[in-house]
Amino acid sequence: MRDTVTQLRKEAARLLKEGSVKYVIGYAQGTDVARAAPFFATVPGQVNTLTWTPFCVPNLVKYLLDFRYEDARLAVVVKGCDSRAVNRLIQDHQFPRERVVVLAVSCGGMLDRDKVLAVVEPGAALLEVEDRGADYVLKTDRGEFVFEKREALLAKCLECVDNAPVVADLVVGRQVSPPGRPGVDRFAAVRALERLDAAARSAFWDRHFSRCLRCFACRNVCPACNCKECSLEQAVPGWQQGVCWLSKRTSLGLNHMFHLIRMYHVTGRCIDCGECARVCPVNIPLRELYRKVAKDANELLGMSLPGLDPEEKPLLTTYQATDPDEFM
Amino acid sequence: MERDRLAAFLDQIATRYHLVAPVAEDGVVDYRRVDDARKVVLDELSTVPPKTHFFPQTEELYSYSTVTGLEIKEIVGAPAAVLFGVRPCDLKGFLALDPVFAGRFRDPYYWSKRERTIIIGLSCTTVQSTCFCQAFGGSPVDGEGADVLFTPLEAVYLVEILTSKGEQLAAEFSTFLGTEGVEEALRGKEALARELDGRFIRQVDLEGVKEKADRMFDHPYWRRLARRCLGCGICTFLCPTCHCFDVVDENRGDRTGLRVRCWDSCMFTDFTLHTSGHNPRPSKTERLRNRILHKLKYHLDRYGLHGCVGCGRCVAKCPVNIDITKVIAEIREVD
Repeated sequence: MRDTVTQLRKEAARLLKEGSVKYVIGYAQGTDVARAAPFFATVPGQVNTLTWTPFCVPNLVKYLLDFRYEDARLAVVVKGCDSRAVNRLIQDHQFPRERVVVLAVSCGGMLDRDKVLAVVEPGAALLEVEDRGADYVLKTDRGEFVFEKREALLAKCLECVDNAPVVADLVVGRQVSPPGRPGVDRFAAVRALERLDAAARSAFWDRHFSRCLRCFACRNVCPACNCKECSLEQAVPGWQQGVCWLSKRTSLGLNHMFHLIRMYHVTGRCIDCGECARVCPVNIPLRELYRKVAKDANELLGMSLPGLDPEEKPLLTTYQATDPDEFM
Repeated sequence: MERDRLAAFLDQIATRYHLVAPVAEDGVVDYRRVDDARKVVLDELSTVPPKTHFFPQTEELYSYSTVTGLEIKEIVGAPAAVLFGVRPCDLKGFLALDPVFAGRFRDPYYWSKRERTIIIGLSCTTVQSTCFCQAFGGSPVDGEGADVLFTPLEAVYLVEILTSKGEQLAAEFSTFLGTEGVEEALRGKEALARELDGRFIRQVDLEGVKEKADRMFDHPYWRRLARRCLGCGICTFLCPTCHCFDVVDENRGDRTGLRVRCWDSCMFTDFTLHTSGHNPRPSKTERLRNRILHKLKYHLDRYGLHGCVGCGRCVAKCPVNIDITKVIAEIREVD
């Protein structure tokens, strides 16, 4: 993956030198061996901090929204899955295409940091990574470690059968094949939940939602959530609380409300980057929740994965007389 | 106490006290009321700190009704409780919270639980890669803030009685405790402390950090640091010393309702938003600066206590790797 890093730095330096972008938003090595941190390069001298490893999990596209009301042009590093978020923001008129330079990296899958840290000491320094197709070789100052992809990748990556970016100004590095097994059932986890009877399914979500801290990490990391002001966070005094869906209070009922509101709001917008589940501090399997709606939208309305095509009309802004409505 | 008697000891406590201890669910450890000691998790730091016992995320203060005149029902009193398995860093967290709730207005909700609770600390036997309690004068075997400290050794727990509340508990459950081998256990604890001391990966140097923080309110560093912040509440909600809250009324529409206080977070957009629309911390820069300075400066200014205890939860859980140990190093470095 050294070539990818070299080329990424070269392109970032070029963009910053010619002054065509304010920032190159990419990744830096994080504070342990199995972590990458989002990094904003502002001058060519900083590009050597940019890196590309199998720990570049964060979806950086969300950061574009921080600059939506500015004049700045930005470059952002994306994986295939993240690139769908760029299209989504364009579809929602939240960021103009001409203000973003998409640096797409061909991604062979991201490693599950817990699985890596079970083997490699967190304090080890990551020197180089080799993508050998079926596995990654991590070269560190404490030796070399091989991780077989089918054992050690994130679940979402094992379901990835197309890693080609859907939007790109520049594809950086060598093309690698997608890590998912062809024909893999992307909705297997959803189907498993569907097979539970209603009481068991209800108990499953009750258990998870009762832990929710309402820290809003799922919302804040989510590229589908691009409202300037969130309906779940309107500061109104108590006597006006009736006009709000939710108060700050946490309870099982209100937590359900929170998650179901978010679920409906990301319908047709969720690109399945899986960031919500990654950031949740209390392990709520949020990806399964949103994918259930995506699966229904696909089966009932023929909706494909959002973000594939910038011209496509988002699900909740379209209507056809033939749409199924037997629940009405 | 012999190690295999712990479960029986806790079960016995649960028959007389409201027993709160760390339990696991779907890989998340938090402190909950337990009635079966076998569920207690002894070998990891909880995801959510035990401050939840004294300062729950949502706390009902009173309910009201205006159906027939104004009726207010206050929710007062707390059950006699034993909070078991509190780690040294979290004990320090309680000590950092105490003065906040004991200011000009002594907080009856916090103190009713604080005073009625006996705290059993639990020494650590491992050091996680995110731990840095040493930086703030802590140690994996430091029982300061506990009434009783349990230190797990080979075959026994060394049980140290630290306060009069601890003595009361020890007297009540004396059948579980023996005095044989105490000398050896004390030596065992010392050996454990020495061993753990060398296992910290994160070396955090606070030299000059407070003085630097005093003068860097307007430093461009905060803007650089805040660029990648998502503005979520993870770092504050998982912090054993964060204590901001908001008071909310919930009208039910039938002339009844309740007043609750809920955790708030300085990382949220609407934190301390004024009714005029003015926001004193309008962007992520001011909000993140507030959090970091609260940990490294404001708490020291106000109470002479560190606002961080080095538990490492924010380091472990921040989705974008804003790592306070690195922030401390960077504060020392910047001009």
